[in-house]
Amino acid sequence: MEEKLQSILERAKQGAREVSTRADLESFKARLVGPKGELTEVMKGMASVPREDKPRVGRRLNEVKGELESLFAELLGAIEAKESAARLGPSIDPSLPSPDGGPGSLHPLAQVREEICSILRKVGFSVVEGPEVETEYYCFDALNTPSDHPARDLQDTYYLPESARFSNVSKMKRERYLLRTHTSSVQIRHMLKTSPPVRVVSPGRCFRRDTADATHSANFHQVEGLYVDQDVSVKDLKALLDYFIRSLLGQDARTRFRPHFFPYTEPSFEVDFSSSHLEKLGSRWIEIAGCGMVHPAVFESVGYDPEKYSGFAFGMGIERIAMILYGVDDIRYFYQNDLRFLQQFA
Amino acid sequence: MKISTQWLQEYIDLDHSPEAVEEALTLIGFEVEGVEKTGLPEMPGVVVGEVLESQPHPNADRLSVCRVSVYEGEEPRSIVCGAKNYKVGDRVPVALPGAELPGGFKIKASKLRGVRSEGMMCSGRELGISDDAEGLLILRERPEIGTSINELFPGGDVVYDVEVTPNRPDCLSHVGMARELAAYFGLELRYPEFTHSFSPENPGGQPQLIESVTVEAEEDCPLYMAFPVTGVKVGPSPEWLRRILVSVGLRPVNNVVDITNYVLLELGQPLHAFDAAKIGGRKLVIRRAREGEKLVTLDDKERELSKSMMVIADAGKPLVVAGVMGSIDAEVDESTTDIVLESACFRAGSIRNTSRRLNLSTDSSYRFERGVDPRGVKYAAQRALDLILDIAGGRIDSDGIQVGHEPELQQEITLDFEFIRRRGGLEIADQTIEEILESLELKVSRYDTSDMGHKWVVQIPGFRTDLEAPIDLVEEVVRIHGTDKIPEAPVRCIGLDADDDRQVVFSRRAADYLAGQHFNECFNYSLRSWEELHKWFSNAGMDSLRLSNPLSSDQSHLRWSLIPGLLDVLKLNRYRKTGGVRFFERGRTFRELEGAVAEVNTVCFVIFNPEGVRSWKTREPADFYTAKNLILNLAQLAGFDLSAEEVGPVPMTNSAWQEGHSAKLGDLFRGVEARLGLLNLALLKAYDLEGTVVSGILEILPEKFEQALPRPTFQPFSSYPAAERDLALLVHRDEMAGAVRRKLETFGRRAAGDSFDLENVALFDLYEGKGIPEGQKSLAFSLIFRAADRTLTEEEVNQVFQKVQDDIAKETSYRIRK
Repeated sequence: MEEKLQSILERAKQGAREVSTRADLESFKARLVGPKGELTEVMKGMASVPREDKPRVGRRLNEVKGELESLFAELLGAIEAKESAARLGPSIDPSLPSPDGGPGSLHPLAQVREEICSILRKVGFSVVEGPEVETEYYCFDALNTPSDHPARDLQDTYYLPESARFSNVSKMKRERYLLRTHTSSVQIRHMLKTSPPVRVVSPGRCFRRDTADATHSANFHQVEGLYVDQDVSVKDLKALLDYFIRSLLGQDARTRFRPHFFPYTEPSFEVDFSSSHLEKLGSRWIEIAGCGMVHPAVFESVGYDPEKYSGFAFGMGIERIAMILYGVDDIRYFYQNDLRFLQQFA
Repeated sequence: MKISTQWLQEYIDLDHSPEAVEEALTLIGFEVEGVEKTGLPEMPGVVVGEVLESQPHPNADRLSVCRVSVYEGEEPRSIVCGAKNYKVGDRVPVALPGAELPGGFKIKASKLRGVRSEGMMCSGRELGISDDAEGLLILRERPEIGTSINELFPGGDVVYDVEVTPNRPDCLSHVGMARELAAYFGLELRYPEFTHSFSPENPGGQPQLIESVTVEAEEDCPLYMAFPVTGVKVGPSPEWLRRILVSVGLRPVNNVVDITNYVLLELGQPLHAFDAAKIGGRKLVIRRAREGEKLVTLDDKERELSKSMMVIADAGKPLVVAGVMGSIDAEVDESTTDIVLESACFRAGSIRNTSRRLNLSTDSSYRFERGVDPRGVKYAAQRALDLILDIAGGRIDSDGIQVGHEPELQQEITLDFEFIRRRGGLEIADQTIEEILESLELKVSRYDTSDMGHKWVVQIPGFRTDLEAPIDLVEEVVRIHGTDKIPEAPVRCIGLDADDDRQVVFSRRAADYLAGQHFNECFNYSLRSWEELHKWFSNAGMDSLRLSNPLSSDQSHLRWSLIPGLLDVLKLNRYRKTGGVRFFERGRTFRELEGAVAEVNTVCFVIFNPEGVRSWKTREPADFYTAKNLILNLAQLAGFDLSAEEVGPVPMTNSAWQEGHSAKLGDLFRGVEARLGLLNLALLKAYDLEGTVVSGILEILPEKFEQALPRPTFQPFSSYPAAERDLALLVHRDEMAGAVRRKLETFGRRAAGDSFDLENVALFDLYEGKGIPEGQKSLAFSLIFRAADRTLTEEEVNQVFQKVQDDIAKETSYRIRK
């Protein structure tokens, strides 16, 4: 009996080599463990095994049965692996390029705008938006810009015809529509809606009637910040710009305030920075922003009490900063959208 | 404005280095755009020497060896020289060992071809005196041996080109600038001294040279003064005057004209000198020009004038465009003997208007445009008369004629100095503030207030019309005290309850999403051409998008859509073979709605499917449904569910889209609209794009973002299994799948009633062709049912499913495909 079991096992192992399909496996199994299978037949003979041999033969029988089971499982695994391989086809060449699109990218101006906004968010500013088509009131009058100021001239500012009507750009009186020359107009609209304290930053597209060249563009982008509260001083303005410039240009960047003139701030300054990081530019002072204390006349035009509140405003050109940060030497690259340019900042 | 250091020395003792002056000017608010050094730099080792002897060089044909005396009583030096233009006995500049020539060339004693040379004899070029490099500079005046070359050629000057901001017309003058520097450096300011007293020959009498001055254009000319001078001798100006004018970029003309220019640059008051003989009828009339009246200005150009311009005319013709430029007809020249000197105050806006319209900006108009000090009008005239009498001679004929008055401008500002400290954020003593203000010629006086405190009254001189309120004085103090003294401080950051505008949040998320979908962001110009607008969007309401003063015809209109810009980008990248096919842009567009233009927040993307694209592995090209997915997802980011919106074709007036392969979702009238699909193949041709372009544009009115989105509330969902049933329907081929789906949803919900949900109806198959009747299509849907509280039984689901089928048979023209 035990020899029989041994020979079944040996023949099974040999026969396994012939098994290559699921059908082969089924008939192979039937031949061994089916109702008329060889092992089944041996099991039927257990009754005639002498009593004292039963435990030993039984144990051997179970062993052989177990070995056959694992042989079947092994064969099934091999068949399944073969089937999977057939389904997947030949192995891939991992060095082939992906036919799918490359990485997308955010425009460098958008990235710089976001970087500026997020530096300011950390010190409590929130970002506001306003219309690109503005009116003379919000762009000039409310910002203390006299009616004969050269900036308002037809030479420098784009106007829309008298007949133009804009459904979602409100006028104060019957003033003309124009394309905003700065985003300070957003601050006026914001102050008219809210009361102090105010801390907002307004990024956006602006327009000046300039002929395009390496440093001028028909439209450009600005970020302007506004801070209004009680008892705000030039010291607070300087502190904020020191923080901002160090965050943007590195901890060793230094700032310098040069007195300047803007109708909407008093005192007004232009801000220069110098930084050892910008090797190409050396340690020279580079102009980066304009700023000042909000002129009392501006507060009056939005109904804030200039006796009670003071504040500061600052503004900078996104293109200019992007040119400094990335070393771009011609503003027109930003508006060409050559993929080789865009992807450098991805 | 060009500022000469030598000129400044007339009013202040400026002994600071050019670098220190440049920095000072910058830090007090006058940006220095250029620094020009003229004349000789200090060259201590360059002196006058005399050639005593000249011998040929023993080892070089072209050189000679000279013995040169440089100091009386000292042994002559041996100097090797290559020049030929001198002779023994000539005096020439000699650079001794240790001297440094312009350009950094250092002189050393050395051997030249074996002969020792103890210095160098110099050419004009080598010293930077002239361009003459031909030979030695022969000093024909035979100055004393040993004299320093700097003594012979004084006149080294440093000229700063400074930007003067429009609020500071007082600094468009040397005295004005000297005042600022005096304040900053703590120097004494001296005003020019007069050598003549003004006692006319005919005091109080009628001037002989002119009969009358009449101001007709009173509002534009508040003050006009005319001073007749007889018997002047017109000729070239003296050397010092010519040199100083040249140093700041002016061309000397003759003494009278040069003096008016000198005083203009000294005091900032423009002056004009008339040849009295050329004033017809001995009358001066300040009037508006007649429409079309002509005059030839001093630059030899004929100017046609209009009624908005002001002229100074005689009895018949205009002689001067007031405040801008004179005509050749009244020019002072060598034949002039009697003059009339004009000093006046014209209204800034009037001069600006004239200057702009004539496209003619002069030193005079530039100053009038910014405003001149009316109280300086007479002073400047007297200064000029003083110089005329000195330089050109002549006699003052009478008191002159004055029309109009100096305006009453007694301006003062009352404030508490504490205000300056608080606004300026400065730690500064009262006394320092007072000193700073006084140094700017602002008179300060203090008085005690009833509450035991003090206030200060600051008198504002006529030349500082920019100072109106206490805050203006804060700037003066910060400026002169020095912005570098603003103390360091931490950022003030008190918590505020404010979020970013939702538009900003949406825009950022949309960009991140599209970049994640392989799109590259673009920035295109907002101004587009009429041709483009017209070609793409015949319904664009072009007239309302037109600028009234465009700079060029290709940038004359506001953009209606972002698509043309993005096609330019595809075209450029195609042409340059960069491989870029996916681009997007976000920005403002402008759309006409019911006769008014709305500014719209827009996101737009394009995907180019080039024809005959080669790839080792071909993907399904992007199509309408690619765009649909992107658009629905973008709208979702803005908080809008466009999937529930009615889909319709894009209106025919918008020719951007390919009919039958594009659609419109929503409507901008309600605040949100999307258009998507294939762009019109016919229009792509102009962009050399062979293939198809899939695009989507999502437009949202900014006001739609004003309301904050409510925070979502959790909706519980069932954890019991779903039951699924499939249903295929034969419908007319024009029937939209969305409509069929909605109908199934209605029927399903109705049939299930309250007992359980029809959770979803999803289309999974669309088939047309063999086995389907002509003109029909088959749509197969799967319906998912689920109950909140139990596992559904086969029976109840079947019952509802049967009811749905019965309703379809009864209420629709659809046929169920078995």
